[in-house]
Amino acid sequence: MGKAFDIMLIFEFIPTLIHYLGVTLQILAASIILGLILGIAAAIPRLFRIPLLNQLVILYVSFIRGTPILIQLFLVFYGLPAILMLLFSIDITRMEAIYFVIITYALSNGAGFAEIFRAAIRAVDHGQTEAGYSVGMTGRQNFFRIVLPQAVRIAFPNMANSVIGSLKDTSLAFTIGVMDMMGRGDTLISATAHALEVYISLAIIYYTIVLLFEKLFRMLEKYHNRYQKADVTAVA
Amino acid sequence: MTIDIPFIWVAFKEIIKALPTTLILTIVPLIAGFLIGIAVALVRVYKVKYLYQIANGYVSFFRGTPIIMHIMVIYFGFPLLLDQISLKFGLGIQTNKIPIILFILIALTLAAGSYLSEIIRSGIISVANGQMEAAYSVGMTKFQAMIRIILPQALAQSIPNFTNIFVGFLHTSSIAFLVSQKEITGAANIIAGVNLKFLEAFIAAGIIYWGLTILVEGLSFLLEKKVTAYNRGGVS
Repeated sequence: MGKAFDIMLIFEFIPTLIHYLGVTLQILAASIILGLILGIAAAIPRLFRIPLLNQLVILYVSFIRGTPILIQLFLVFYGLPAILMLLFSIDITRMEAIYFVIITYALSNGAGFAEIFRAAIRAVDHGQTEAGYSVGMTGRQNFFRIVLPQAVRIAFPNMANSVIGSLKDTSLAFTIGVMDMMGRGDTLISATAHALEVYISLAIIYYTIVLLFEKLFRMLEKYHNRYQKADVTAVA
Repeated sequence: MTIDIPFIWVAFKEIIKALPTTLILTIVPLIAGFLIGIAVALVRVYKVKYLYQIANGYVSFFRGTPIIMHIMVIYFGFPLLLDQISLKFGLGIQTNKIPIILFILIALTLAAGSYLSEIIRSGIISVANGQMEAAYSVGMTKFQAMIRIILPQALAQSIPNFTNIFVGFLHTSSIAFLVSQKEITGAANIIAGVNLKFLEAFIAAGIIYWGLTILVEGLSFLLEKKVTAYNRGGVS
């Protein structure tokens, strides 16, 4: 073993680690898409106050928001096989760890998205609804033509944040043995004993990806805000 | 594989002993981070020369990398750095005597600062321009207007965001178990490993986190209701 800290190792590690970026993005994409479906499904009972379903969604969202993703990951990893075994006697203990990760993150994103959609719709100024009714729109017309387009604009930055948050959360998938960038990093550490360099390399990779995502989302946000007056803030 | 319900209670009693550590890991970084956050937010809002770029870089980097990276880099990097310094100046600091929790606190504080600064900044920006103009028109200075008019409104609007950050950092503190800190998740992991009852231990830990979160959210909800009683919005 050479020096305690060798900066050249970072350049060596980055190409090795970036091979596993695909796994990270796979987890992200799958969990976002599943999460969107789940989020819309969960937001509807909340918005229209459908009895029973409303309470169920509240419980679901509360649980997901109330526990760390790490705990959720462990609960799904140890709990799902137990429940499926108990109820349907299906054995999924040999399922690859990545599916448990995707299920956990989809559940987590679903709850987050449901709250974002609901908050965005509630954030639209009440005057807009009144104005919609005053020109004779029905409740449905008012919702789809007036409230929803404005809500999308409001929800977008939060959605973008939760996608980026989710990307960063994928760095915990290695705790149940998924071979993503962090997992590969772990094996690199055992092989070379240069933990600091590995984590710096990983930080650089994550940061680059996040910056790219942020740039993309900012462009989209600008597009959503194209009808907004520029001068709406207290301090320029 | 069955679920041992009574063991959940046994684990619960054992895990709850680690609650103070979790609370320290949550509250200390948030208080220190709030001070950093206000300073950084004001630097960014007023675009203070030179500092502005540093503040931007700081916020962008810490928000752009997973918190586990901050903890790991500081956990592995800080002792190395301190060793170098103490060797150079003959200080004789023994880095292996420094408790691990200190490294975690430093990492979490830096992360909290970046997240809170972004919330405070967006709160300031969201206050309508007329408020600043009105403050000027009654003869306030920029400083007075900021302290008396803009910041109170900005912070009141940000209560839900502050709650999210509080809950977020409560949950983030679970990552500390990866560097063998015995907080709630760490304690759960230990008791799970000793008794080979992983699901039950993590259910108990999940209940503790959930209860804490509900408590925090309830308190914040009451506060928010009081502070923003004049607002109405959405379809309801």
